[in-house]
Amino acid sequence: MKGLLRLYPRSWRERYGRELEALVDDLPGRTGVAFDLLLGAAMAYAAVIRGNRILSSAGAYLHGVCVAVLLQAIAFVLLVLSSQRSPDGVNTDVALGPLHFAAILWPVYLGPRSLVLTQSPPLVAWLPDLGLLAVLVAALAIVLAAPRLLRESR
Amino acid sequence: MRKPAAVVSVLLLGLLAVGVAEATLAALIVLFSTILKLNLSVELGPHYLQLTLPAAPFRPALAVYSAGWIASVAFTALCGLAAATWKFRRWRPSR
Repeated sequence: MKGLLRLYPRSWRERYGRELEALVDDLPGRTGVAFDLLLGAAMAYAAVIRGNRILSSAGAYLHGVCVAVLLQAIAFVLLVLSSQRSPDGVNTDVALGPLHFAAILWPVYLGPRSLVLTQSPPLVAWLPDLGLLAVLVAALAIVLAAPRLLRESR
Repeated sequence: MRKPAAVVSVLLLGLLAVGVAEATLAALIVLFSTILKLNLSVELGPHYLQLTLPAAPFRPALAVYSAGWIASVAFTALCGLAAATWKFRRWRPSR
């Protein structure tokens, strides 16, 4: 159990390490204590990062990158949804002048029309897209709120 | 000596973060294409990577072109840089 104390930042160990070591000696070696120690190490690192301008900026960089990935995933799902606005599908091209970034291309169907009519109604066809969109928007909300939640949990 | 090493470390961290983010995005696109039943075609320079589902009527294809990947990398890096700059300028020592 004492090995978990090595996970704490060095500055923190130099200041509080002996006290915590004595405390851990008195406590029974349970999973709950190990979990508390792990959580404490994460919070101690968060405090160290918050107290350093460069480390804070690096954390903000990683946060910005996460937000960018989620925004692009949401844009991808919206692109698929927009191409499904007609039951036959609409070719959708994301382009800026001569630069083509992405596209949804629907096949030209030449078979019997009866097969087309057996397709699912639009709302049912949109359900997977809407489900993914809801999950991604919820994830974005959590990621955006995470720094504030961490600050307030101190 | 310490300053150039720090600059190189920061650059490597930034590149690594963008690389991991792009790999995650590519994995998400493959996963979503499977869930949404799309054929996927990815252009990587002169090469094409195609993931095709069994034939069925009216299965659309998603194409991601090289310009799309470049724009995605630029957007991801810019978002990170904007967030880092914002934090660096507004950072105050905690009391």
